[in-house]
Amino acid sequence: MSDRLKVQLTEALLIPVLAVLSGLALASIFVLLTDVPPLRAYVELYKGGFSCAELTRCNLFQSLQLATPLLLTGLSAVVAFRSGMFNIGQEGQFLIGATMAAWLGFAIHLPPVIHPAFVIAASMLAAGIYGWIPGVLKVRLGVNEVITTIIMNNIANLFMTYIVNFPLRADTGTTAHSPLIDETARLPVFFQGSKWGVGFILALLAALLVYLYLWRSTPGYEQRMAGQAPLFARYGGIRSDSAAIRGMFISGALAGMAGAIEILGVHRRLLQGFSTGLGFDGLLVAILGRAHPLGVVLVAILFAGVRLGAQIGLQTSVHIPRELGGGIIALIILFVAAENFYRGWINRVKEGVKRLAARKA
Amino acid sequence: MPLAVEMLNISKYFPSSGVQANRRVNFAVEKAEVHALVGENGAGKTTLMNILYGLLHHDEGEIRVNGRPVSIHHPNDAIRLGLGMVHQHFKLVPSFTVAQNILLGMEPSRFGLLRTGMENEMVRQLAEDFGLRVNPGDRVRDLPVGMQQRVEILKTLQRDAQILLLDEPTAVLTPQEVHELFEIIRGLAARGRTVVLITHKLPEVMAVADRVTVMRRGEVVGTLPLAQTSIPELAKMMVGREVLFTVEKKPASPGPAALEVDDLIVAGVGGAPAVMGVSLEVRTGEILGIAGVNGNGQTELVEAITGLRPVEGGQVRLLGRDISHWPVNERRAQGVAHIPEDRLGMGLNVATTLDENVVVSRYRLPEFSRWGILLLDAIRRLAARIVELFAVASARPGEGIATLSGGNLQKVVLGRELAGDPRLIVANQPTRGLDVGSIEFVHKTLVEARDKGAAILLVSVELEEIQALSDRILVMYRGQIAGELSEAEATEEKLGVLMAGGQLESK
Repeated sequence: MSDRLKVQLTEALLIPVLAVLSGLALASIFVLLTDVPPLRAYVELYKGGFSCAELTRCNLFQSLQLATPLLLTGLSAVVAFRSGMFNIGQEGQFLIGATMAAWLGFAIHLPPVIHPAFVIAASMLAAGIYGWIPGVLKVRLGVNEVITTIIMNNIANLFMTYIVNFPLRADTGTTAHSPLIDETARLPVFFQGSKWGVGFILALLAALLVYLYLWRSTPGYEQRMAGQAPLFARYGGIRSDSAAIRGMFISGALAGMAGAIEILGVHRRLLQGFSTGLGFDGLLVAILGRAHPLGVVLVAILFAGVRLGAQIGLQTSVHIPRELGGGIIALIILFVAAENFYRGWINRVKEGVKRLAARKA
Repeated sequence: MPLAVEMLNISKYFPSSGVQANRRVNFAVEKAEVHALVGENGAGKTTLMNILYGLLHHDEGEIRVNGRPVSIHHPNDAIRLGLGMVHQHFKLVPSFTVAQNILLGMEPSRFGLLRTGMENEMVRQLAEDFGLRVNPGDRVRDLPVGMQQRVEILKTLQRDAQILLLDEPTAVLTPQEVHELFEIIRGLAARGRTVVLITHKLPEVMAVADRVTVMRRGEVVGTLPLAQTSIPELAKMMVGREVLFTVEKKPASPGPAALEVDDLIVAGVGGAPAVMGVSLEVRTGEILGIAGVNGNGQTELVEAITGLRPVEGGQVRLLGRDISHWPVNERRAQGVAHIPEDRLGMGLNVATTLDENVVVSRYRLPEFSRWGILLLDAIRRLAARIVELFAVASARPGEGIATLSGGNLQKVVLGRELAGDPRLIVANQPTRGLDVGSIEFVHKTLVEARDKGAAILLVSVELEEIQALSDRILVMYRGQIAGELSEAEATEEKLGVLMAGGQLESK
């Protein structure tokens, strides 16, 4: 391994770790306001998010289940970033995928395995098209994709609300919801008592595929070049326009896959107010994961774990409001954004070590 | 009288790229002299100056300013010590006026309120003191490059710089502007300021410097008073061997036409036509040079031929086939190579690896990908071959190229473009910003490609380059061909007349 690679690797690992530690350190100030010793709070947070008492009552499994949609929306953002597009439309594409899955889950009847496979494919196609539209608008007409994707989030949200209240409404309960999907369409879970299941494996598989696509395939190469250096790509004969549109389609499809898995694996039906900003979390996951599939996997699990830990560790065990979990995540984001701060420190430490070694020699 | 600057035994190692940029460098500048620091790209000149200015920190050695040992950790320390640096790429705010830029961060104020009325007067006074003509109220974005550089110099003087470090100041200037800059430099020295001029252009050193220090591969080769040296001697010190200033080439033996351009019309950036009815022909085995002052439609012509800019009228034919509306990749597949003017923005993607840079024009070939999967080993072998054939120092397959010097980056571009034995090579300013050794290499490579049967269209604003390489020469003026000269007829005077829009008297 060359020196250069070593430097890059240590930085890639060291900076997120330092950011997490700094985030926790700063958050202890807020913990202190609640009269709970910070260390105890963090032990509870950890237990709540990452421990595993027994297979049927395992917090870690629940975190992994919660990480699944984050992972996929994160991948969605990565693919768009890497082709030079800023897709903020994960939320909308996620809802389109979920709506499609909820409908096809009960409206058509297919044998097991084939049913969920077909539903996920259809949801990905629908959400992919939903992502393709802003891509085309950007490339052909120069409409800023940030604006169109935000607008299309609202459209998707209202569309979903309409669907669940009128055409697909199952009964006249207090919260509008669609009928339960067929048994055959469900994604199996691994252990009774948690909803951690096949969806997570599919998400990991997607991460692997995204990695192979971006770094090992010609269309992925085209996309990265067009995103990194548009002029260079055009000069080299790459059709940046179609690369960008393709990037938006794949990005949309991945967000749609997240929606489909949430329906088939967790909720089994569409509910009013179904999404809770998962799309936007995907953007953060992608940024913190340094727009790399492996980073996205790790950060998605960290995110989900901290959030769950705040809920059942902090709130239930030591009565600290679970909103602190969000606070901790926000602080970690701040510290990652300040990565140059750490780089300076790392270099200074390195120089010091070198000088010390030189003095000894 | 103490020396203005003394740098003793300075060493600097970059662990990330494994380069020893400075090795026990000793460098001394006397007060009120113009001192040229010369060396090839990558010789360590800029590193040395960045250390002096506090942008980098040296591993060992000592710096003295005005005879006193100092430690400079930040440009602010350097500025306090009376140092000022003008970078190659200007650091000005385009939408601000000249005066606002010069006074940036030290605006006159009273009770916390800006006194904008005073700004122009202060700057006018400053400019007068140093004999630099500027108009304080002009917006920087409207100024020509030479004027912007003047603003940068005034900025350092406003901060009371006694020692000015100018990094490659002439790289972006027209000959006329270079002349004016030299007058400014001499004027500064006459007023007791010290000027360090970093450059690799030897004629400029001869024109303006008092003494010269030559660097090669991170070490100082020697410091000489100008009177005791000459261009060939300095070039030899820089490169480490004799340098040929003429390109050896046999007479061309042109074959059939490779590129034919008929009555071409191309729009410029603003939409107004930049190329207006150009017709030309490049035959296999010849170099057609296009001379002209920058901005007379050369870039638009090149981009229309290579497919980056739409053809509005007329025709571009490659080996008899009309390619006027073909996309870039199809033209490249037919053997069109392009060495672009903008090396860093267009010719390379400095954010990625060498491998991904060299494969950009051919990743779809069966040799480098199958079923849409990149064959990484084959791509790595291509990178290794280019590194070897073109002697790209310090480039390694699989690693980034961001730390390579300008000359090595251009070798990567050349290697990629010439690796497939192209039929047509379109080279736009192929040696801009390169040092003597690299220019020699580029020229030799182009002549070799010609002898192997490539047709070469060479666009350059350097008359010497056009004259040295071309078999035939066209001059472009305001989007049109102002005249054609054979290699034998093309004297500097005749070319100069045509470039300025004049007419040659009929024979």
